[in-house]
Amino acid sequence: MESQIAPSFTRQEAFSEDGVLIRTEDLWKTYDMGAVAVQALCGISFEIRRGEYVAIMGPSGSGKSTLMNLIGCLDTPTRGKYWLNSRQVGELSDDELAYIRNKEIGFVFQTFNLLPRATALHNVELPLIYNGTPAEERLERAQEALQRVDLADRMTHKPNELSGGQRQRVAIARALVNSPSIILADEPTGNLDSATGVEIMNLFDRLQSEGHTIILVTHEHDIAARAHRIIHIRDGKIDRDERVR
Amino acid sequence: MAGFSQTQTLIFERKLKHRALTSVWVTAREAFWIALEALRSHKLRSFLTLLGVVIATTTLIVVISIINGMNLYIADHIANLGANVFILDQFQWASGDEDWLKQRRRNKPIRIEDYNFLKENLRGHKNIGAVSWRWPRPNARYKNQTIDEIGFRGVTPSMIDIGQEQVEYGRFITESDYLHSAMVCFIGQDLVDKFFATVDPMGKVILIGGHPFEVIGVARKIGSTFGESEDNFAQIPLTTFSKLFVARPRMNVNVQAWNSRQMMELEDEARALMRARRHLAYKDDDNFGINASDTIMGLWQQLTGSVFAVTIAVVAVFMVVGGIVIMNIMLASVTERTHEIGIRKSLGARLRDILMQFVIESGVMACAGGVLGVLLALAVSKIVDMVFTASVPVMAVLVGLALSTAVGLFFGIYPASQAARLDPIEALRTEN
Repeated sequence: MESQIAPSFTRQEAFSEDGVLIRTEDLWKTYDMGAVAVQALCGISFEIRRGEYVAIMGPSGSGKSTLMNLIGCLDTPTRGKYWLNSRQVGELSDDELAYIRNKEIGFVFQTFNLLPRATALHNVELPLIYNGTPAEERLERAQEALQRVDLADRMTHKPNELSGGQRQRVAIARALVNSPSIILADEPTGNLDSATGVEIMNLFDRLQSEGHTIILVTHEHDIAARAHRIIHIRDGKIDRDERVR
Repeated sequence: MAGFSQTQTLIFERKLKHRALTSVWVTAREAFWIALEALRSHKLRSFLTLLGVVIATTTLIVVISIINGMNLYIADHIANLGANVFILDQFQWASGDEDWLKQRRRNKPIRIEDYNFLKENLRGHKNIGAVSWRWPRPNARYKNQTIDEIGFRGVTPSMIDIGQEQVEYGRFITESDYLHSAMVCFIGQDLVDKFFATVDPMGKVILIGGHPFEVIGVARKIGSTFGESEDNFAQIPLTTFSKLFVARPRMNVNVQAWNSRQMMELEDEARALMRARRHLAYKDDDNFGINASDTIMGLWQQLTGSVFAVTIAVVAVFMVVGGIVIMNIMLASVTERTHEIGIRKSLGARLRDILMQFVIESGVMACAGGVLGVLLALAVSKIVDMVFTASVPVMAVLVGLALSTAVGLFFGIYPASQAARLDPIEALRTEN
């Protein structure tokens, strides 16, 4: 199974010679709320290298969600440039953005965002469906991803038959299944009790040690403290960019 | 770094193209299963939604089946004058009211002289014969048994080759019977069943309208048309008929051509001969009628054509109403599943994936309605066939299914485009 995931790593290596995975240059995002224009991001510039474990921190309203949407290619900046894997994302069409979301980004959400009527296995299969992976290969890879998050025995369960922690692990398996460049987690422990939260954070540690690049968006200090680098956002600007480990 | 080399662009584009090709099939299949799942989980809602489509499909198929059934019936029973036969009659059968009144005024009956004239002068026919009827119908008796009304015909010997009767056993009326006005009769199965259930009818003498006739042959069973038996008849030589019953009987002249191509030619020839014989000026209308199977079929098809046109209109209205209901429920479904759409988009579903998902769902739903409609139509047609006549053509089933699916696909486009255009962030934020 590893061999099937390996080729995409090679591809990533080929794209970025200097190991920079994400680079933003003066990102602005303005929301037009009728009469007033709200400046959610006011010139954000940073770089994230392959294999880094970064937390983006900030109070609510600081613009960290907007930044996450931009990094996750769910949205495009009003102004500024964003390179992901040496590809400038701001210029891409909706379909191309969908392709990047599918291939390069694995989302982990606070509310898990699993399809309630689909089994764990089918939920994990979804990203593979949208890149046209044939059924047998899809099944194999989805099973493999669920094994990696220790849910091999819960594959046919539906989300409402799983605990919060298990649901989040299904979501992580889904994020992993396409071997993305980045795992983008938005408050991944926000809906979990602290013990389960720790469990999930341990899983992120493990994924990071396996070579994944992880970006964590959170407002909790002890969660952010697990990362190797913390980018503090305040009022749409980078307040502090510190290396903790 | 900022430069993003041409090779990379090329690889990226190629990957996109490749993905577009392979994923259409995979996502279509996924969409198909989602659609079935949606149908399964909302049975009642789906059924109510599909009622319009179901009724439309059923109506369409049932009406087509009845018309088809009657077409077959007409072709089988009424228009069956025999192969390549046309009939010279006093009247042109399939004509409008005004024309009919005119015919009533000026057309002259066909008499034995007309038959003899045509027999002498018409060239190239295969067979020519004449038939006369007795009206009111006479009764038939054998010993103490009576049949009140029988179809009673005086015929020429050639009619056995022209009409639909066939000899089961014995023989038909011969030239000799005809020449000598023999007191013989050729009878249908109903008479055999009534009079000669246990004995051989050959050589027995039955009374028809009080006159004795010797049975010389029995016809093969024909069946019934619109509930009236076609086997309740006796035929005697036309000569005997005019001697005993009607002095100068009116009759039909039946002409059989060798093949369908010769029909027109022969009809024209017969028309010209009759016009000459009756001294009609070139501007005068015929004062006789030349009728063929296609005349009757033509009249029939004119009738069914208008029935069919009304059906099409009704079905179209049902389908549009059904389609709008589907569209409405799909719009509701899109709203209901906004969050799901957001999830799918965040996982890389493109505009067309979402579009396809909802269009296919709508199509599958409507197709299920079509299937239901077909089943209902089969049941209704079965019942209709018991009391009347109906025959479901495969084509009608296919058209019904295709039409309902097409309606679903069409009316699914708008809701699907609404779904596909949702902003992923907004959609994700929506909680249901």
